[in-house]
Amino acid sequence: MSEPASQRVGKSALRIAVALALLLASFQTQAQAQSLTTRSATKPAVTYLFPEQITVPAGKPATVELHFRISPGLHINSHTPSDEELIPTTLSFPASSGVRLENAAYPPGTQFALPLDPATKLSVYSGEFIIQTRIVAAAGNHLVEASLRYQACDNSACMPPKTITVPIDVIGK
Amino acid sequence: MERPIPVKRNSLVLSAVLFILAAFAWAGWANFEYRKQAAERVLAAAPQAEVAQEAATGELQYVSPLIGKPAPPFGLEDLNGKKISLADYKGHALVLNFWATWCTPCKIETPWLIELRNQYAAQGVEVLGISADDIDREDPARLADEKRQIARFVQQLQIPYPVLIDGDSVSKPYGGLDDLPTSFYVNRSGIVVAAQVGLTSKDEIESNIKKALEGSK
Repeated sequence: MSEPASQRVGKSALRIAVALALLLASFQTQAQAQSLTTRSATKPAVTYLFPEQITVPAGKPATVELHFRISPGLHINSHTPSDEELIPTTLSFPASSGVRLENAAYPPGTQFALPLDPATKLSVYSGEFIIQTRIVAAAGNHLVEASLRYQACDNSACMPPKTITVPIDVIGK
Repeated sequence: MERPIPVKRNSLVLSAVLFILAAFAWAGWANFEYRKQAAERVLAAAPQAEVAQEAATGELQYVSPLIGKPAPPFGLEDLNGKKISLADYKGHALVLNFWATWCTPCKIETPWLIELRNQYAAQGVEVLGISADDIDREDPARLADEKRQIARFVQQLQIPYPVLIDGDSVSKPYGGLDDLPTSFYVNRSGIVVAAQVGLTSKDEIESNIKKALEGSK
């Protein structure tokens, strides 16, 4: 028995819609792959790991630990580098974010020397590190775009100083 | 009993769905093409360096696309505000050494450059130290501070050759300078004969200086 015309049209529409959706998904995957290729060429030496979202009592100081990872083979200066010319790792919060950074406690640096100059000791971070912050958030939802400034090197070369965004969704309750 | 949906209305809905999906597909394609072209533009804008394996030693070496080509011209100020251009050193074998005060490997390399420059100066070798430290021309107080910091580095290491500032402004034609130290060796005819990224050894620097002295009069 043959299907009514309206059902046939409906089924064809569904098939075309699925085919177009698959085509669209394929374009988007390609676009994302292209974007990743471009990004990987300029991948930052430091990546912010977590937390992405935190809930803190509104108007009261709260301790939050921010976790970061440094790419393998690289190191960055600690917050207190061994030489005044070296650029310290520094965290800052924008003034108008609704969240105030009262204090940031940085981990102590590890002593490190370049193979070609073993006598000069540098104070650096490598691998993962944590900055312990004390923040005060106003009531409400705040998407804070904090900044981490650092300067990275490997054993033979240094990259220019860089500032990455540290996005944290802070809920003050 | 339900009334069947008229075929005409179905076709209308189908056309609308197809139009919306086609618009999405077009947007996805346009986005992909835009990103592809933007990436190509970025790559084309600066000469891209590669790392290649040297046949003799098997070691990985920095290969600059500038090798065999004329050194890109530039004019930069020294710490006293005097304009110095590449053309001023026509006929010299040059080492263009990009460095920064915050670069520890640069600090290790600089004394080697000083020794080699003094050793080969009589043969017409000169080093131009080009600082890639940030320069803020909008804020005179900050600019003075930045210059002071560079001058302190020059004084500490007793650098005898010209030191130019604002190297970032000429970094693009030299391949972006994502890593410091980076040096380009230019022969007397103004052709780049060797390039080097990162701290290597005094022997390698000397070998590149010899390359700059060879093959040009």
